[in-house]
Amino acid sequence: MLQMSRLTITRLCSVLLCLLTLSSGSVLAAPPEGYNFLPLTAASEQSSANNKPMLLYFGRYGCSTCRKMHAEVFSDAAVNKQYNNEFVLAYVDTESGNRIRLANGETTTEMQFASRSRILGTPTFIYFSAEQKPLFKKAGFQSIEQMNHYGDFVAQGHYRTMSLQDYLASL
Amino acid sequence: MKFRVAALCLVLVALPSQATERWKFDTKLAVTGDPVSGVYPHLDGAGRKHLAVTSQSVAAIWEDNRSGKPQVYVARKANDRDRFSTAMQVSRGEAYEPAIASLPQNRFVLAWEQDGAIHARILTDSGLGMPVELASMGASHVSLASFGERIFASWREQQNRLWFVKVAALSVTAAGKLGVESIVPVEVAGLETQVLFPSIAVNDAGLCVAWEDRRAGHTRLLVSQSPDQAQSFGEPQHLNEFLSNRNQYDQGNGVTRVSLAPFAQDEILAAWMDKRRGGLGYGIFAALGSDGGAIFGPNEKVHGEAGDRQPHYNPAVSGNPNGDFVVAWDDFRRGDSDIWLSAYNEDDEWSQDFSPAIASGAGEQSHPAIALDDQGRLHLLWMERGDIDAPGRLWYGRAMPR
Repeated sequence: MLQMSRLTITRLCSVLLCLLTLSSGSVLAAPPEGYNFLPLTAASEQSSANNKPMLLYFGRYGCSTCRKMHAEVFSDAAVNKQYNNEFVLAYVDTESGNRIRLANGETTTEMQFASRSRILGTPTFIYFSAEQKPLFKKAGFQSIEQMNHYGDFVAQGHYRTMSLQDYLASL
Repeated sequence: MKFRVAALCLVLVALPSQATERWKFDTKLAVTGDPVSGVYPHLDGAGRKHLAVTSQSVAAIWEDNRSGKPQVYVARKANDRDRFSTAMQVSRGEAYEPAIASLPQNRFVLAWEQDGAIHARILTDSGLGMPVELASMGASHVSLASFGERIFASWREQQNRLWFVKVAALSVTAAGKLGVESIVPVEVAGLETQVLFPSIAVNDAGLCVAWEDRRAGHTRLLVSQSPDQAQSFGEPQHLNEFLSNRNQYDQGNGVTRVSLAPFAQDEILAAWMDKRRGGLGYGIFAALGSDGGAIFGPNEKVHGEAGDRQPHYNPAVSGNPNGDFVVAWDDFRRGDSDIWLSAYNEDDEWSQDFSPAIASGAGEQSHPAIALDDQGRLHLLWMERGDIDAPGRLWYGRAMPR
């Protein structure tokens, strides 16, 4: 399991929790079809307002592993149902110039946000609790079974009592 | 035996300096003041053209939010002065991603995005000229190039949901005003997919524009050359090589943020972020073009072996008529971000990476812009933050060739 470093969590907390608005002209590059992916700031606001966990998907236009996951994993009805119903979904295009405006006054692009978040490859998924706390990061291809397990771990609140590693071992 | 060991030690010590320290930095000056809470300067323009030099002065352009909204500012320094001028506000409304190029007689041309439009104006010893609007809406990612009195600007523009890369030929009138001679799209037919961050360069042999293009279903770098001063453009050519075809989903690796600069009499240097190394993140790759960018050679890895397993960001390029050229970028191989440089060595191979002491060390030094002048002096502009989310400031450094 890829554990999030304290530095990464600190960076994501400091940036995500102060997100305010995203320019209205933003265009999502290529999240999977059939999902309610939102620009990051809108998703962050919705997650906070509705007390729902958030999945942050760092993708790239044309990313081959992203395409494979869209075709072989996100196409699964159970994955679709769980993530659309139980998560707020956010998508960041790691090469786009779409602007993110932070509450502290800084405006940056999705590309710069991804680089400062030390995202090396796509897809990278970061799961957040309903309390907006980053829980864990998964990079690269994830299977249907893995996505279901991660979803259950977060949506059912198991993260409050055990690590993801322990949860997966208990299944 | 002792002699052999001593000789080997000497070789080991001597090699890195021969390979890397091509310039010696003798100047470090603040472009902006001490970091101010809530103020964030940015150097994120297309092609990273944030620094320009004339024979008499150097000028830097950037965006920051000191006024409460993102605005573009410029500051300049005469060669015989040891401080930059107070920042002059260039833009109004909400403005981003500026560019600058030098002109004869100690003048500069500036361009930027403002409320979705593209604007340009001249900077002279007397101050800022009146702004001229190059595109009225749906436009961004402007870049500039100049050659003598000739000025060219490129940007992306969306019209009726179709995307274009456009290029303007500009001139300065006898009255010192900036005039628009022509604006043409690089390709007449617009695209339903985005084009991003075009960069432009010009020399005696022609003008070329390179950009991120998504028409293939993923991002490729395309380049197009104009032999007639931006009146027409040739069929776009591929700049980056497609090194992956692993499965039915794979159409090539990620590439982004290309930067162009002229060097020698008719050559063009292109460098960009390239994900052909897979999960290691972006590498810095380059290609050398001849005949004003009509033909580009094979892709070349710029960063050295020491950087082979790290991601690299924000490449900037510059060259001069003498044939010198250099690439700058940032990466965090030492924990936090530092500025790195590479240029061809005596064997016409990219040197070992060189991190100038003035632009490295504690804190985050990133987002370089560079200008190589006719005397071979390297001018460097960069951003510094105490940590990745802290307020920032801009520094300028100058290096003499060894």
